[in-house]
Amino acid sequence: MSEQEKNASQEEKTGLPEVDQVGKNSVANEGVDKRQAEKKLDKDQDDSPKENKKEPSSEQVSNVDPKPTPKGPQPSVTGKSKPAATPRPRSKPKEEKEPLPPSPEEPILNQYVKIIREKIGNEAVEEFFINRANDHLPTLIIKKEAWEQVAKLARDHPDFSFNYMQSCSGVDYETHMEVVIHLCSLRRRKRVCFRVRTDRDRAKVPSLSHIWEAANWNEREIYDLLGIQFENHPKLERILMPDHWVGHPLRKDYVPLDKEV
Amino acid sequence: MLRTEEMILNVGPQHPSTHGVLRLVVKIDGEVIQEAEPVIGYLHRGTEKLAEDLTYTQIIPYTDRMDYLSAMTNNYAICHATEKLMGIEIPERAEFLRVIVMELNRVASHLVWLGTALLDIGAMSPFLYCFRDREKILDLFNELCGARITYNYMRVGGVKWDAPIGWLDKIKNFVEYMREKMKEYHGLIMGNEIFLQRTKGIGIVSHETALSYGLSGANLRCTGVKWDLRKHQPYSIYDRFKFEVPVGTRGDLYDKYVCRMQEINEALQIVDQAVEQFPEGGAIMAKVPRVLRVPEGEVYVGIESPRGELGCHIVSKGKDKPWRLKFRRPSFYNLQILPTMLKGQNIANLVAILGGIDIVLGEVDG
Amino acid sequence: MFGLLKGLGITLKNMAKPKVTYKYPHEPLKMPDRFRGIQHFDPEKCIVCNQCARICPTDCISLTGKKHPDPGKKGKIIDTYDINFEICILCDLCTEVCPTEAIIMTNNFELATYSRDQLFKNIDWLHENDQNIRQDNVSMKPKPGGSKA
Repeated sequence: MSEQEKNASQEEKTGLPEVDQVGKNSVANEGVDKRQAEKKLDKDQDDSPKENKKEPSSEQVSNVDPKPTPKGPQPSVTGKSKPAATPRPRSKPKEEKEPLPPSPEEPILNQYVKIIREKIGNEAVEEFFINRANDHLPTLIIKKEAWEQVAKLARDHPDFSFNYMQSCSGVDYETHMEVVIHLCSLRRRKRVCFRVRTDRDRAKVPSLSHIWEAANWNEREIYDLLGIQFENHPKLERILMPDHWVGHPLRKDYVPLDKEV
Repeated sequence: MLRTEEMILNVGPQHPSTHGVLRLVVKIDGEVIQEAEPVIGYLHRGTEKLAEDLTYTQIIPYTDRMDYLSAMTNNYAICHATEKLMGIEIPERAEFLRVIVMELNRVASHLVWLGTALLDIGAMSPFLYCFRDREKILDLFNELCGARITYNYMRVGGVKWDAPIGWLDKIKNFVEYMREKMKEYHGLIMGNEIFLQRTKGIGIVSHETALSYGLSGANLRCTGVKWDLRKHQPYSIYDRFKFEVPVGTRGDLYDKYVCRMQEINEALQIVDQAVEQFPEGGAIMAKVPRVLRVPEGEVYVGIESPRGELGCHIVSKGKDKPWRLKFRRPSFYNLQILPTMLKGQNIANLVAILGGIDIVLGEVDG
Repeated sequence: MFGLLKGLGITLKNMAKPKVTYKYPHEPLKMPDRFRGIQHFDPEKCIVCNQCARICPTDCISLTGKKHPDPGKKGKIIDTYDINFEICILCDLCTEVCPTEAIIMTNNFELATYSRDQLFKNIDWLHENDQNIRQDNVSMKPKPGGSKA
């Protein structure tokens, strides 16, 4: 029983984001690899090669993966949205079989991944896909350990040159926390989205405030409202809430002081 | 040499020159600012938290209260992000109405900035003139959507009201009137030696710093960076209109003033073109379901509000309420640079520099 | 120096112009038809569908219905209807969703009182608030006059 539970929790960790993608847009996953999309694989098959691709890079993932992948999409759905969400992953793969035009941003995304993997290491990028709903925005999920390096590379490498931070927000997914940054290159007129995941209990992410000054207050805000610690932040204090406030309001388990308000 | 000693000066949170409830803890040596630390959060209402318990339609009136000087752009940000996630196409007529009101709102917002920023450095009469002219825009909005500040005008899929009879003619007349008045402002301010002395070479920001701090709007453009989301990441129907993106060269207060004044002119030009091309007939609302269930996914859109890039980041889990809603509030980003700008400045320039950034505290605090 | 004189000239020119301010508290302010003021409520029209209470972003509307006194007729009639103007933001969403125009906006906006309790308005008060009622309550639809004129 306890083993199953363990498995389930692990599945949730790895699985949920997958559903996330699938639901995102039928399509999101398709960005994983062009070849896969062309082969028009089923959802299940679609997953496994992707995991395989990651396997050599990250041991953690490969340990967990073989079991959960076949049922990946099902258990990962959180209780509440079951009726709505379960049919979705099933129907979407069928849609994916339809020849969806490859996203125009796909070569760019693949190039990003290639550069990051070359410069920093294979395991730096956990996942990557095109967020079709958002104007084909290349989205990369970065490993926490490489977060700072990737950010630096994104700013300085001529093929990235993302010198402008558009937005930096934190999201509580109940299973994990995520910090999402949207970067923009004024010269190349391109946008990109980087995401990094962290545990809920000891949420900790390296700070980017020395790379983009804009991250400074943003990270303070995220710390204040979501309770994510930022390592090496010059002044990690509450910014919007009063200093003596208890709790982090935007966390999903936060209990408001006064329900009426 | 006079011997000076350091002292801590508290400015605000209730102070006429902080344009709201902003507090500054300033460390001064004589008259020179050594350090300044903004303290914010006095107006934090938790819009993002509240939004997690509200449907997408219900969030719109809350966004009015963020940047209360340009509620139309706030309305647009949330509607645009939701529409993008749902894949809704907006009727053309609604797009035109949206552009007209957003640009008029930009004019109104810049007029408030002009009036108050000049008031901060000691000019009283421009303030009165600016509010006189802003009132005309507010009256037009009042006629269109029934409120002067908190418009709640846009809906996911279109706009709430069509233009009333004769409204577009009034807009046309207003554009003419405003162009005339712009010349008057020009004469009133541009040649004024006191104004020039107070603004030229004050609060200089280099464009590298501006980009690193994520400044946007006139604060970024005054440093010479040509970056306007209406032009460079076009949304709505802005690609149909001809307009310029004014940029400065030095990045001082004077350049900010020039940029914003030219932005008013450009905004008027867009309004003019929009009224000219306004489509005959047609719907103002797209067909949207009664209950807005936004498909699962994530979207970030940035639009050009009068203060800069107003972004809306929605994470949806397929419910009728957003899982997480985050606003990239331009004032919040722009205010962050204040300590850097104030360092080494004379204390008298504090209000001038703060006024030049053009913050709205409702937006800073969210 | 010339710049200062030029500015002063504009000020002098404006002195002769007519006043742009209103004598507001002494003379009532006329608001346009679409103005969102305090709601008027018509109990006759209400079908107790609860939509206004559900759409309200601040939850300031509370209502209860009772069975129709005429046993032959179906449906409910309104029993109590309260709006708490302490938190009402006059956003117009309740009138937008009302299928029968039982609740509509008026042009009245003066709500100041000496006590917060007085801001809690009940069905009778809202019914009596029948001056300056908004004429045009059909939103989301193109208007004939809205075209290029």
